[in-house]
Amino acid sequence: MEALVKVFPANDFSLLAVILCLPLIGAFINGVFGKRLGREGVTLMALAAVGGSFLAAVVSFLVLRQAQAGSEQAARLTYVAWDWLSVSGRHDLGSIPIKVAFSLDALNATMCLVVTGVGFLIHLYSTKYMEKDPGYHRFFAYLNLFIFSMLVLILGDSLPILFVGWEGVGLCSYLLIGFWFTDEKNAQAGKKAFIVNRIGDFGLLVAMALFVYHVGALDWIGIEGGRSRLLEPVKLWPIGNVVPLSSALPESAAAWLNTPRYVTAASLVGLALFLGCAGKSAQIPLYVWLPDAMAGPTPVSALIHAATMVTAGVYLVCRLSSVFVLAPAVMFTIALVGALTALLAASIAFAQNDIKKVLAYSTVSQLGYMFLGVGVGAFSAGFFHVVTHAFFKACLFLGAGSVIYAMHKRIHDTDTSQDMRKMGGMKKYMPVTFATFVGAWVAIIGFPGTSGFFSKDEILLKALTSQIQSPLPGGKITQMTRAGEQTVLELWQWPSWGNQVLFAMGVVGAVMTAFYMSRLVFGIFWGDFKGWTIKRKWKAPAHHDHDDHDHPHHHHDPDEPLEGPAPVESPWQMWLPLAVLAALSLGGGFLNAHLLHLHPMDDWLGPVFATAAQNVTAAEGGLSLVLAFGIGAFALGLGAAYWVYRLQGGEPARAFVERMPGLHRWAQDKFYVDEAYDEAVVESAAALADTAAAADKYVVDGIVAKLTSGVVQLAGAGLRFVQTGKVHTYAAVMVVGTAAVGWFLIAPHAQARTVHQSAGQYGVVAAPGFGYQYRWDTDGDGQWDSEEFSSQMQQDVTLGFGENKTLRLQVKNAFGRTAERSITVSRPKLDPTRGPATVIQIEQQPDGTVRGVLPGQQPTGGVQ
Amino acid sequence: MSPATKAVFELVPYLLAFGVGALIPRRQGTLERVAIGVVAALSLALVRGLWPAAADAATPAVAPPEEWPHLLNVIVFVPILGALFVLFLPRQTPALLRRVTMGVLGLDLLASLMLLRVPMSRGWHFQYVVDWLPSFGIRYHVAIDGVSLWMVLLSTVTTPIAAYVSFGSIKKRTKELCFSILLLHGAMLGAFVSLDLFLFYVFWELMLVPMIILIGVWGGVEKIKAAYKFFLYTMAGSVLMLAAILYLVWTHKSLAGYATFDYLALANVVLPRTAAWLCFGAFALAFVIKVPMFPLHTWLPDAHVQAPTGGSIILAAVLLKLGTYGYIRFCMGLFGGPAWSAAANLAGLAVGGGILYGALVAWRQDDIKRLVAYSSVAHMGFVMLGLFSGTRPGVEGAILQMVNHGISTGALFLLVGVIYDRRHTREVREFGGLAKVMPVYAAVFVLVTMSSIGVPGTNGFVGEFMIIMGTFVSLPLGSHGGLQAVLAAFGVILAAVYMLAVVQKMFFGPLTNPKNAQLSDLNVRETIALAPLVALIFIIGLFPSLFLERTRDSVQVVLERYTEGRKSFQEMDPSSTVARLLPRRGGALETGYPEPPGQVDAKPPDPSTPEAEAALDPQQGQP
Repeated sequence: MEALVKVFPANDFSLLAVILCLPLIGAFINGVFGKRLGREGVTLMALAAVGGSFLAAVVSFLVLRQAQAGSEQAARLTYVAWDWLSVSGRHDLGSIPIKVAFSLDALNATMCLVVTGVGFLIHLYSTKYMEKDPGYHRFFAYLNLFIFSMLVLILGDSLPILFVGWEGVGLCSYLLIGFWFTDEKNAQAGKKAFIVNRIGDFGLLVAMALFVYHVGALDWIGIEGGRSRLLEPVKLWPIGNVVPLSSALPESAAAWLNTPRYVTAASLVGLALFLGCAGKSAQIPLYVWLPDAMAGPTPVSALIHAATMVTAGVYLVCRLSSVFVLAPAVMFTIALVGALTALLAASIAFAQNDIKKVLAYSTVSQLGYMFLGVGVGAFSAGFFHVVTHAFFKACLFLGAGSVIYAMHKRIHDTDTSQDMRKMGGMKKYMPVTFATFVGAWVAIIGFPGTSGFFSKDEILLKALTSQIQSPLPGGKITQMTRAGEQTVLELWQWPSWGNQVLFAMGVVGAVMTAFYMSRLVFGIFWGDFKGWTIKRKWKAPAHHDHDDHDHPHHHHDPDEPLEGPAPVESPWQMWLPLAVLAALSLGGGFLNAHLLHLHPMDDWLGPVFATAAQNVTAAEGGLSLVLAFGIGAFALGLGAAYWVYRLQGGEPARAFVERMPGLHRWAQDKFYVDEAYDEAVVESAAALADTAAAADKYVVDGIVAKLTSGVVQLAGAGLRFVQTGKVHTYAAVMVVGTAAVGWFLIAPHAQARTVHQSAGQYGVVAAPGFGYQYRWDTDGDGQWDSEEFSSQMQQDVTLGFGENKTLRLQVKNAFGRTAERSITVSRPKLDPTRGPATVIQIEQQPDGTVRGVLPGQQPTGGVQ
Repeated sequence: MSPATKAVFELVPYLLAFGVGALIPRRQGTLERVAIGVVAALSLALVRGLWPAAADAATPAVAPPEEWPHLLNVIVFVPILGALFVLFLPRQTPALLRRVTMGVLGLDLLASLMLLRVPMSRGWHFQYVVDWLPSFGIRYHVAIDGVSLWMVLLSTVTTPIAAYVSFGSIKKRTKELCFSILLLHGAMLGAFVSLDLFLFYVFWELMLVPMIILIGVWGGVEKIKAAYKFFLYTMAGSVLMLAAILYLVWTHKSLAGYATFDYLALANVVLPRTAAWLCFGAFALAFVIKVPMFPLHTWLPDAHVQAPTGGSIILAAVLLKLGTYGYIRFCMGLFGGPAWSAAANLAGLAVGGGILYGALVAWRQDDIKRLVAYSSVAHMGFVMLGLFSGTRPGVEGAILQMVNHGISTGALFLLVGVIYDRRHTREVREFGGLAKVMPVYAAVFVLVTMSSIGVPGTNGFVGEFMIIMGTFVSLPLGSHGGLQAVLAAFGVILAAVYMLAVVQKMFFGPLTNPKNAQLSDLNVRETIALAPLVALIFIIGLFPSLFLERTRDSVQVVLERYTEGRKSFQEMDPSSTVARLLPRRGGALETGYPEPPGQVDAKPPDPSTPEAEAALDPQQGQP
């Protein structure tokens, strides 16, 4: 340990580079050379990369623990790779360097272990699951790239570096959802995920701009240090000084419209960040991509769309907890959105039959729980749920994958092989999968003692008791304006009923979770197998090969009764990860079992959230109430499901569907949210684009190009008639023209211009011409200075401030004709209020010295 | 360790990079392997050679190498002389013509790489001045700074690629093709390095001729119309610019007593308000058409669609940059006041008409090349927004984004050309499921798409990020800066929408069209042409400071001039009609300043009271 600390000092902790680079190298080698390496080579490379990364993460974790031990401060290990770029702060002042830097503290060390650990298990699982896929090397290249991006996301030491990983995982998600790209549906789902995520990324970009402007830092330390600057008011409206055209409105309306509206910068930053989190973590209103993302291979769903990537939003809220707590309104929004998402997704999950879809909505719902937790300021409780959820949801997905793998032996259609109605009785055929699935199931429904029980109850407890304090004691922000000190903004206060509502929603969600998860488990593992008729000595038809994804026309006629062998247990590469994850799901709760006064995780994370905790108040007590509700919710949901699906054989559910077909259909079709988005957002954007394209073609091009050329052509057509081709017409025009030019030459033109030469020195310069001679009247007495015309073109004039002078000029040309003009030269007054008022005026004295004069003062002294 | 072994050890990383690069292609082919290996090794050399800290540590006290004054002359005139030389070669030997052209372009590339040996400190580098038409004050004055450096390198890198690609698909009239490309190349480089407005104008117009030939001879069905449109649009802007140049020169002559077309001298002229606005308008119009900005952009899609692949690459990668470069150098340098005052409105146009409108129109195009052309409008909107922001990150980001756009959009046009060569159509609906038959092509296309939509880690992100941040904190844009930055960030979503839509339609889904079933993947020539672009996408994305480091000081100078220009513009009495001349500031920024022709009574600026003289009396006598 000592040696490790010596090799890897805390401020140059290059082990982080190892953690990061191994998966990147794996991705590069598998992606570029994978086809030549062969399956074994690819497997070895991919597993070694992630496994090595996991080991390095474990070592880093231990070093961090060593550093953290006995210290109240949060320990940090940092590694700066290189300078990336730099931006500047408000009004282009100062420089904000952005380094490619990574850091490790308690929060992301834990996350790092989860990502690499669960990631390794899922890699191992995939070696079997994807065994026969022709894109094997491509799959592992993407998967390794994903691990790399995810690690960049969680280890990044500043928001831009996090953003690199943030978009990187989105990209990998895009590539992996569309992994079987020959199916239009998969490619479509990938695109949808990317674009919806981009909407969230837009929020993150805006948040970064706000940080740059208000805080002047983008790294975690800088943001936390300068967070108080986020409490300044920002004028949202009007954007300029007044609303354009508002003067046309009635006075009161215009006044209302022009009243400045303020919010705190913290609220804006919080909302923008939460938009990003909602995109990545599938919260209302951006959750729609996640269920579609199940089009990807099942290990991808387990890794990316359940255990790791989708929790990035929760991670970001935890990471910037010190900023979020400055905006109680945003925190309440987060908690409320989380609770609503939990309920909405759970209610959709009731009516789904595709087992991956059920799990997908369950993920959305659980993510909602996490946001409920962090939204009420219980950051470590929310993050604890991230960890336990990673265990049991990965286990559930992989278990589902194991079942699908078994179903796939005879049913090659992706949708049908995932249909719960085709399964049943798998308990008998796949004992290991069953046992592990049950382990994860009891965890997610909150069976006392499991990890889900502890993490969910902790969130419920905090939802009932924890509140965000107003960051400013008075709750008001004042600003000096012309009318004196004015209150521009009153900070929003956390409502008194808020906690009860959030708690109630959480409990209802828990009941629903227990119900639909039990429905899923009963449907898959109990009852009779409904996939095909089981024949003892069934043999596969000779022509069959497995990788049906390339030729979907092999489908069986659904009406034709299908025969096949009994489903079998998956190989060890698949059930070993299941077993590990199931063990963690069952036992992981003791990391933070507050009931038993065991909370190593809270203690471990405590220093990270110390700053944020200053703004959070938690009432004492409520534990027994929460415990009662928590266990009650679990018992109610499980009992109801048991009664409906086991005792009554699903009869009440069918009766319910018959009684309320509309409601069921709504839930089954996801409340038509996708359709509503299509109509409202996508279609209107498309219509706008159509309009723009048409306008570009006809209006813009029409006016700028076609109309211009039309005018030119028209002018040409008109002028054509002048070109008659008749010589005498031309001759007549020529004579007139020559005469006009001749007259102009004969007439004299007394033109002159004034030139400023130096202080108070002006020159009046007459224009030259054919044989011109000049005489001047410079003293303004009405007499010519000399009666003789001379060739003197220029007269110099000296003027004091505010003086002016009139000159007369007479010009005689070669034909003896004359013309006259008078010219006034003026020098402006010294005006102390304008012009270069701060500059010392320099005046030339009559004696030739130069004196500096401050505007409005007596001459002060010589300035040579 | 002996120097020899040390040298060998120093070579190891490059050999390693070469080896990895050479292993990348799957098919057998020495040329391809060597080329990709060389690109890999050169990329490493570029990153290590330009690394600021490394250079300092290695050579702490060594003065920067001396600047060879003729280097720019070589860079500009090698292609022009090459073009003339090509005229004397027989047209029956196309292979020889191609080789000569590639040789000249390669030589030029090597020469331009020498520019990197000198750190781009404040002031002008590789300056070379000689009288050309002394009676009009016209001089041959070339120099570079951190802004033009990257423009020069961008053209010397992309033109060989464009030429190489053209030689693959164009088989007729090779001699004219070689001549046009070389002449175009020389003219573009000349325009980037000219510091004499007359010289600049000559090169600016000289560029048009070969470009029209490229479009009009080797173009598509409506090539003549497109060439005509391109010519007229550009010409309309540039004649107004000529008028403004002449006015500026005339004003300078009447103030200083001698004529000069030199940028450095003309930058000291402060025009009265109306005249400044008109001259700014004339210059800005010429550049804005070239960029192009809404609503003067419609020549671009037509020109791109009709131009051959090589022409499109040069057009997108370099020619458009002359507009943005001109805006930095001339609009912001000569007319800081009007440019500053117009910035907020123009930025609105760049966001609304460029980033958002361009993206929406691009989304609705059926022709891939047209789509990429409109995406250019959106990207160039970002560049212009960065310039209008007038902040250090904004302008630096804009310069980087110019390079990025050259690389990404150049690569996209190249890729579109690949599929066009095979299918002779660019309609999106003709394709689908291509990833199955052309996996490498699809992978490269997706990669370039990611760069084009600004995924972090690629070059596109860095530029857009800096521009958005720069816009948000901008002073010239005032309270609108925030909104414009947010809308620009929103444009990033739209970029993903239109690019991913086309990627999905072309590459994913089932392979429906039987005509596509037998398409061959990237051939050796195309792979070699794409390799450096792909390498640059990552180099800039990961190590942008290599590039930013060399522009930083020059951007500082640009912004100083910009602010100064605004200050002197504001101090000008609005009703005044008389121009004035700022005193010379001297120093590195004004080396090569045109001295008045050898008169004895020509008054050099009085050193004792230079500032006071200027500040004394801003308002002039009024007749």
